[in-house]
Amino acid sequence: MRISPDLSQLVLTALNVSDQAEQTALQQMTTGRRVNQASDDPADAALDVNIAFQMDSCDRYLRSISSLESELQTADSSLNSAVTALQSAINLGVEGSNGTVSQQNRATIGQQVSGIAQQILGIANSSYNGNYLFAGTADAQPPYVQNSDGTITYHGNDNVNSVQIENGQSVAINQPGSALFSAQGASVFQALNNLVTALQDPNSTTQDIGNATTELRSAYDQLTNARTFYGSTVDQLVSTQNFLNNENVQLSAQQNNAVGVDMNVAVTKLTNAEEARQATVQAAASIDNLSLMDYLSSVTTT
Amino acid sequence: MSGLYGTMWIALSGLEAQQAGLETSTNNVANINTPGYSREVPILQEAAPVIEGNVAFGQGVQVEGIQSLRSNLLDLQISDETQQQGSSQAYVNAMNQVQTLFPDDTTGIGAQISAFFQSLNSLSTNPSDLTLRQNVLSAASNMASAFNDTANQLTQTQQQLDLNAQQQVQEINQITQQIAGLNLQLCELSSTGQDYASFEDQRGELIQQLSGLIDLSQVSTGNAVTLTTKQGTALVVGGQAYALSTAPNTSGLQDIYSAQGEDITAEISGGSLGGILQARDQTVPALQTQLDSLAGGLATALNTAHKQGTDLNGHAGGDLFEPIIGTGAAASMALAFTDPSLLAAGSDGTSGSNGNIANLSAVANQAVSNGMTPSDAYSNLVFQVGSSVSDGTTELNASTAMLQQLQQQQSSVSGVSLDEEASNLLLYQRAYQASAEAISAVNQMLQTVIDMGAQS
Repeated sequence: MRISPDLSQLVLTALNVSDQAEQTALQQMTTGRRVNQASDDPADAALDVNIAFQMDSCDRYLRSISSLESELQTADSSLNSAVTALQSAINLGVEGSNGTVSQQNRATIGQQVSGIAQQILGIANSSYNGNYLFAGTADAQPPYVQNSDGTITYHGNDNVNSVQIENGQSVAINQPGSALFSAQGASVFQALNNLVTALQDPNSTTQDIGNATTELRSAYDQLTNARTFYGSTVDQLVSTQNFLNNENVQLSAQQNNAVGVDMNVAVTKLTNAEEARQATVQAAASIDNLSLMDYLSSVTTT
Repeated sequence: MSGLYGTMWIALSGLEAQQAGLETSTNNVANINTPGYSREVPILQEAAPVIEGNVAFGQGVQVEGIQSLRSNLLDLQISDETQQQGSSQAYVNAMNQVQTLFPDDTTGIGAQISAFFQSLNSLSTNPSDLTLRQNVLSAASNMASAFNDTANQLTQTQQQLDLNAQQQVQEINQITQQIAGLNLQLCELSSTGQDYASFEDQRGELIQQLSGLIDLSQVSTGNAVTLTTKQGTALVVGGQAYALSTAPNTSGLQDIYSAQGEDITAEISGGSLGGILQARDQTVPALQTQLDSLAGGLATALNTAHKQGTDLNGHAGGDLFEPIIGTGAAASMALAFTDPSLLAAGSDGTSGSNGNIANLSAVANQAVSNGMTPSDAYSNLVFQVGSSVSDGTTELNASTAMLQQLQQQQSSVSGVSLDEEASNLLLYQRAYQASAEAISAVNQMLQTVIDMGAQS
């Protein structure tokens, strides 16, 4: 059998193959990815797109959560001050309903309670990033406005905003003032106003003051109940945050499995390719020395 | 016996034959790197003997001709495989360009879709914030631009392929013209009995070049080769070449017509023209359709959600993206407004409401394109483009390996071996020397005879 005399094509192809393998291994090592074009592994590249989407979602939920946390904590600590102030108002009411207190002292106590009412008005109108925290969704304007007769009206609405914090899960992020300070039948401002009136009216009996104090207590209960929303929502945010952080780690691992490169494998491939290249070059060099022409000419010259 | 002069003639025929051998070998060596060259050997034959009584005296050697060593079967197989390889190569080249338009990393459409939904989620924590609103609009605009860019580049790739197809048609026509010319020359030469191996080599090489460009069937009739496409459109018949032509179709791309005016675009399956047409007419349009479906579906779903809400001033939301009219949704996708206060994030008319963001965000999990969510639709595009390149590359590698094997086989028949030629040169040289020695001997013998005459 006659053997093809043209070995250069074989050598070229072999060099091409080892060059390509070398290049692929190098690219994998420098990028840390086994899949650098979709064609490297179409199914895993498509999986990578989906994982990247999920990781982006995790990141955006985490960012939202951390911004919500500080907002909710601000609201919670505002409400905490309101609760403390209300406790003093209730104590003042109890003190005022004591029969031994003089009319003059009652009026002084009434002024103190009135001061507390102003303090709570300030708290109920507190804002975060320029938005009023307890106005429902009508948060561009202060929700509570004091009228000329001293009564306080709620200008917010009853609506609640929700924010998605993980796939398929949203949390409400605010309680409107109408559920906190001016709830139907348990309005903090109404109760405070009634207590001030009872304390300042010389005709009030200790019974009247006691009734007003009881009314304030039930408004207080409503506020403390409604306030627990903020604490429990923050707890939920923290636990979701942990879940998402964990999810992110798992997604990273999945992504690495799908498109990442095993460095040991890549290094081995590179070494193999380099060895193959070297062997090919050496073989090609020795083929070149085997020409009969060369041999004959060396014989004639000597 | 034919006497001393006869012996001289025998030696002379030896000289001529060895010189022919020497010439053939030298020609082989000279053409060792000529593409399409088939090695040649001299055909030597004994001259008719002279019979005297019972004895037949050989009368030397005759050069019958020069034979070109080639295998027609291998030529045909190589032509077929070259068509395959040319087609795969052109297709893979085209799709490799397309592949860069659909990255699976942090650039491109996928990342922009993701960024848009991310901006919505941020806005939901503070819906009246103008900066966050502006961020949503910027993200929406970036997403639209990503669709525009990808669609435009896809169209540009298609136009580039279209231009390539036209160039290939011109090249095909040039080659068929040359083959027809060679057919004509070969017919004339064979009738005069002249040597024509070099023309056959040239024609063979041209046919291989043509195989790289278009699918071919070949039939030899006498010394002429008839070439048609696999579907039977005539390219070369005898000395006549049938030029292909191009004319734009309704989509502005060039269709290919036979010399008889038939549209053969869909028939062409092999060679680089076949690969280019496959990418231009099938793969790229399919991707365009899916891209448009995704862009259109996404824009329409977001518009529907946006209209359910109220903007910063309490007015009902309008379209977020310009409504899609006709085809080309991806190329024409554009934001409908630039004023961030017009973004309908709310659901109750107040500036602080984020009620409609949930509707907008929900689009991320809605089936917007062929029953797939936006992210699934995009990852499906990445998968398809990646598969077309990787499948094409697999085919390309297979046919390249096959082609190489066939070429090695062909080379084992037709290739010039320097070792072989070196030893042939030695043989011819030695035989030439020996014949020359014989002439010299006859010459001395004649001298002896002449001297004999002079002495007497």
